Amino acid sequence: MLRIENLSVSYGTHRVLHDVSLDVQSGEVVALIGPNGAGKSSLVRAVSGVIPVEEGRVHTNGTDLLALPSMQRARHLAVVPQAVSMPPAFTVWETVLLGRTPYLNFLGQVSPADEEIARRALVRVDALDLAERRVGELSGGEQQRVLLARALAQSTPILLLDEPTSNLDLHYQVSFMETVRTLAHTDPLTGTGNLAVLVALHDLNLAARYADRVALMVAGEIKAAGTPRQVLTSELISAAYHLPVQVVPHPFADAPLVLPADK
Amino acid sequence: MRHPFILTVLALLLAAILSIAIGSVFIPPADVWRVLTGQPPQMVGQAAVIILTLRLPRTALILLTGAALGASGAAYQGVFRNPLADPYLIGAASGAGLGAVLAMSVNWPYTTVGLLAVPAAAFVGALAAVFLVYLLARVGKTVPTTNLILAGVALSAFATALTSFLMLRSTGELRRAIAWLLGGSVFSGWGPVLVILPFLLLGLGGLLLSGHSLNVLQFGDDQARQMGLPVARARTLILLAASLATAAAVAFSGIIGFIGLIIPHLMRLWLGADYRRLLPLAMIGGAAALLLADVLARVVMAPQELPVGIVTALAGAPFFVWVLRRAKNQGYW
Amino acid sequence: MYRKFFFAFAVFTLILTACTPGKIDLTPTEQPAPTPITLTDGLGRTVSLPTAAQHVVSLAPSNTEILFAIGAGTQVIGRDMFSDYPAEAASIQDIGGSMGEYNLEAILSLQPDLVLAGGINPPELVASLEGLGQTVYFLPNPTTLEEMYANLETVGTLTGHGSKAAALVESLQARVAAVDAVMMPLNYRPTVYYEIDATNPSSPYTYGPGTFGDLLIQRAGGFNVGSKLEGQWTTISLEQLVTDNPSIVLLGDAAWGETPEKFAARPGMDALDAVKNNHVFPFDDNLVSRPGPRLVDGLEALAKLLHPDLFK
Repeated sequence: MLRIENLSVSYGTHRVLHDVSLDVQSGEVVALIGPNGAGKSSLVRAVSGVIPVEEGRVHTNGTDLLALPSMQRARHLAVVPQAVSMPPAFTVWETVLLGRTPYLNFLGQVSPADEEIARRALVRVDALDLAERRVGELSGGEQQRVLLARALAQSTPILLLDEPTSNLDLHYQVSFMETVRTLAHTDPLTGTGNLAVLVALHDLNLAARYADRVALMVAGEIKAAGTPRQVLTSELISAAYHLPVQVVPHPFADAPLVLPADK
Repeated sequence: MRHPFILTVLALLLAAILSIAIGSVFIPPADVWRVLTGQPPQMVGQAAVIILTLRLPRTALILLTGAALGASGAAYQGVFRNPLADPYLIGAASGAGLGAVLAMSVNWPYTTVGLLAVPAAAFVGALAAVFLVYLLARVGKTVPTTNLILAGVALSAFATALTSFLMLRSTGELRRAIAWLLGGSVFSGWGPVLVILPFLLLGLGGLLLSGHSLNVLQFGDDQARQMGLPVARARTLILLAASLATAAAVAFSGIIGFIGLIIPHLMRLWLGADYRRLLPLAMIGGAAALLLADVLARVVMAPQELPVGIVTALAGAPFFVWVLRRAKNQGYW
Repeated sequence: MYRKFFFAFAVFTLILTACTPGKIDLTPTEQPAPTPITLTDGLGRTVSLPTAAQHVVSLAPSNTEILFAIGAGTQVIGRDMFSDYPAEAASIQDIGGSMGEYNLEAILSLQPDLVLAGGINPPELVASLEGLGQTVYFLPNPTTLEEMYANLETVGTLTGHGSKAAALVESLQARVAAVDAVMMPLNYRPTVYYEIDATNPSSPYTYGPGTFGDLLIQRAGGFNVGSKLEGQWTTISLEQLVTDNPSIVLLGDAAWGETPEKFAARPGMDALDAVKNNHVFPFDDNLVSRPGPRLVDGLEALAKLLHPDLFK
């Protein structure tokens, strides 16, 4: 599980995260929502050690993640970034294999076990048939799946996703989130436990349908955290997004549905 | 195309053979073979001296220089994720030029040390420039690539201007400075090879070990860090190895362009972007290409010898354009 | 694809082997009686020859001129590409020299017993040739006429023409003394502007102090506007030139197409006395830039131009 405690981060004098605390249990999907600039991406980057942290701690089962060197930390959490500007000349297979980096020596020598893990990761995201294709030739949805496979190959108990559906069309948005939910709820390929998944999303209804819990961020702070029904209320969302919304029960799914209100 | 390593090594062997067998003086191939295998040649004259003390060491020097430039070029393109990067991007060439011209303005005594003054100054100048650029670009514990490029451009402009100023004020060193800058091997014999060998081995060795790190770096600093690579340390080590190799390459051979820029692209077009393969291939390919350019430089206007730097520039650019147009691949970078 | 590659490579190789020049063969001439020579050259090196050199390769045009002037012209078997004087030098084997690149293989194959290097050759070239088993003598650049005479005598010793060299020095000294004598007493010293290069006409090059150009103009009874400047080959601003107002302009760049008409047409130059009085003359720069016996020719030519009334 992932425990974020009182995290504060600034870019120079501009504070982007203020006293953020959040827990993500194994086996659950926590969606991070909020308007642009709320700090969702910054939280993902801070937790994964990419930007320096002013105050606060991030730990998992007693291990202080931010105190670890990057190679050690990369064995605990993996990040699925947005599929923008990927090096086009690598093949899918080469890309996914790079996910094994935290376990390889500096020469990058790969064992048959590593290759098996990479292969299973590709199967998991249903992209094994793309293995020999060059990344530059793939569609956005395919690239995003490749990045998910790479993160899975990293064999970590914690998975962070930074707005993975922003550039995907409807079909890929749904299939991607279903895969993510399955990964959290059922045994992953390493068999060491269920994944703890924290996914930053801009689409509120995707969050409503696929997340177990939702955390709403505004201006660097967590304004509310709880089940989708608890957080996706018209008061909270309207205040956060400066737009009147109406929340209604989803017609056929067990989730709330957020709609911009008529004036 | 299969067996890329074998083909590239073959090309290198052929190029080396040409370099030993061809020069401005015609030596029959049979005599070349006799000299190389220790038998006296049929032809009266200096065949043995020409081959053993001129062509063989020159072949070795050019081979090592080309290998260094090819591998560094590939490494720089990988570190900066920029197809226009070459070994001189962060100041090595301008630093070397300034060092060499400064050394040329002093009358060194005619001793072993004195004769090494200019190449040593070029070597130190190259490394000092890269080091200075590194310091200028540093922000806290990180060294952002954008800063490196900007600092490199600024320092290069300054050093080049200073060098030009010194050359104009010089009293006759102008010709010597221009000749060195264009990339000539005025030095002959095994001396230069032995002097640069340790630095080259260090630099090339370091580069050959950094293929995996370069692969990871292609995804950007953030993702590389998230995948577990210690980004700042990896980048520093790679740049150090590449700069060491480049400095050793320019010390005796001057500033030879295009090899470091074009050979990595050619290898990438041929075999893809995995740096674990790209680095050794760029090394071998760079050696072969520079050897061929040097042979051309020696024969195309015999008995005059063109500086190698001119041949690589004149021949390299059109050749590369031709290759690019033939390559149907779009996502090769 | 393989076949195309190897075919191209084969063609490439054939072209290269076809481009290489033919074999150079040389039979040695008669050997004079051996008298060993040991001298210290301009780099402080001790140079020893078992006997006077019979097959000399010259690496500088000034050296070539010296060799011919002291009577060793038939002993020169190789010369740099810029050696164009005397006319006989043209038929001697060219061994390169552009941009400092000399054809070491060609030099080696000529099998010289002496390579004569000059001030324009860097020490590493001397070291390279030494490493290839050659006997190299580095003739340093003279800064005075006396030092030039000494160089003539040195080359005379090296090539077995010591007496001829001594005679040449005497005749040169006599000619210089003759110029000095006519000059005394000097009632006027014209201001002279000597142009070496005007590729950038607003910042042309002229001889500064320490050059033979400056020294010879002085000796020929003129005042060189460049003598006030810093550096040996230095630029002069047009404003300074107009202020100095030379009465004589010498175009050392005449060999590159500069003419008195073109000079007069440059903006501001019509204000100069030299232009008004039609005293703009082309001049053979080799007579003051090549550190050999023709420096005296240069002195005489300058004296005639600067004091035409004294020299008929």
